[in-house]
Amino acid sequence: MRLWLLPVLACVFAQAGAPAWAADAPPGASSCTGCHASVKIADSVIPHIAGRKAAEIVAAMGAYRSGAWPSSVMGRIAKGFDDRQTAAIAAWFAARPE
Amino acid sequence: MATRRALLKGAAALSFAPAIAMAQGTGAGRVVVIGGGFGGATAARTLKALAPRLDVTLVEPNAVYTSCPYSNGVLAAVREMSQQQFRYDGVRRAGVTVAQTSATAVDASARTVTLADGNRLSWDRLVMSPGIDINWTALPGYDEAAAQKMPHAWKAGAQTVLLRRQLQAMDDGGLVVMSAPANPYRCPPGPYERASLIAYWLKTWKPKSKLLLLDAKDAFSKQRLFQNAWTQEYPGMIEWVPLSKGGAVTSVDPSALTFVTDFARHKAAVANVIPPQKAGAIAALAGVADRTGWCPVEPVAFESTLRPGIHVLGDAAVMGAMPKSAFAANAQAKVCAAAIVDLLAGRTPVDPILINTCYSLVAPDYGISVAGVYRPDKGVLAEVPGAGGVSPLDVVGGYRGQEALYADSWFRTITGETFG
Repeated sequence: MRLWLLPVLACVFAQAGAPAWAADAPPGASSCTGCHASVKIADSVIPHIAGRKAAEIVAAMGAYRSGAWPSSVMGRIAKGFDDRQTAAIAAWFAARPE
Repeated sequence: MATRRALLKGAAALSFAPAIAMAQGTGAGRVVVIGGGFGGATAARTLKALAPRLDVTLVEPNAVYTSCPYSNGVLAAVREMSQQQFRYDGVRRAGVTVAQTSATAVDASARTVTLADGNRLSWDRLVMSPGIDINWTALPGYDEAAAQKMPHAWKAGAQTVLLRRQLQAMDDGGLVVMSAPANPYRCPPGPYERASLIAYWLKTWKPKSKLLLLDAKDAFSKQRLFQNAWTQEYPGMIEWVPLSKGGAVTSVDPSALTFVTDFARHKAAVANVIPPQKAGAIAALAGVADRTGWCPVEPVAFESTLRPGIHVLGDAAVMGAMPKSAFAANAQAKVCAAAIVDLLAGRTPVDPILINTCYSLVAPDYGISVAGVYRPDKGVLAEVPGAGGVSPLDVVGGYRGQEALYADSWFRTITGETFG
């Protein structure tokens, strides 16, 4: 009985403070949250991307990569991802809770 | 003896069979994480988020973590120590058991960690993120007693406060001498950010003072950006002496606050020795550090190439082209946690892509950055060609100010993502 209960309780408690993660994050996505926080941070100059439309993220990455939009590190980072990888990351962030 | 060892090994294998069987498919299992910094705290929280039924214990002796990133701002009196400090309440809220004690031994074949409080923890996977220790045998004259006179302040906390106090007590016109080590070491641009921010503080409060930076290297991270900024912001204040001009410090004399090179003796009013380093001491005890003092790992799950079942993260590990930074440790921890969940479930982790981003402040409103993208290639993490690089040398408008604002926001993000 106790053996059965413990994992269930652990499950319930784990929901409270754990970061919003899913096991299906495509390669590269988990690094993004080092700057783009998984929860909204007041007054941050770094845009919150969780819950943004995938097409918007893809367009932004393309503009950073081409240099059409000036940026700090994003132009240098966007060049490390091809269209397929970028689309997968964008779709994953779009599916995160805002 | 051999028979007895074989028997013990057999017994150990038997006792782990149920745990591994349980782990497969159900998302259960036991993971111990040693070290509660940017790598370890992130790994522990991410493991619980990905697999809530995992039993995750974080072993960390300090109740409060003091962040090295941004601690150079404390030296320049633009930040207070309290802004550098983070507790583990958010890690506990994520469902992680925090054992506030040190790990004293790791048995890789029995799969146990022995703790200073006498307890022993069993694990299916062990994550080690022990950070750095000072290599006290590498620089003659520099030992723990010497660090009270010539602070390193390369592990933030009491050493940071000591160095700040010494700077504030120095007479105007005094010479601050710093030494920077050969690669590899924690935070490649850190010594140069520190020189910049100390110069910023001197310019305001002790404008007749100068800073001498003795370097065991001929080149460093973001070099042109730093040197251009020094010329512009602190003309005549910072003298950098590279290896080829006699910059390598061969010994120190703490009683005379003196740095000795092959060519000269430099007496300081305030002395900051950034000494040679190695992986945190528990890494050698666990057998995951090699003769260099650092920990070789494979580039997908960061599993030790010396001790299977043990994963090493952050500054302690040899991560190919990826530098030793807080951002890198956090990124590696998230990849490692996902890989461990896969491995416990009997799946093969896919090749990851990792990013590093590092901002340095030359002044509180003047930031510069480096970024890189990394993926496994021929057994190591290699840079993705065509990506990454440093801030442009020539910029218009408020670019440097904007990068300083990004640095501030980054610090708030990374500490929130790590500690909850």
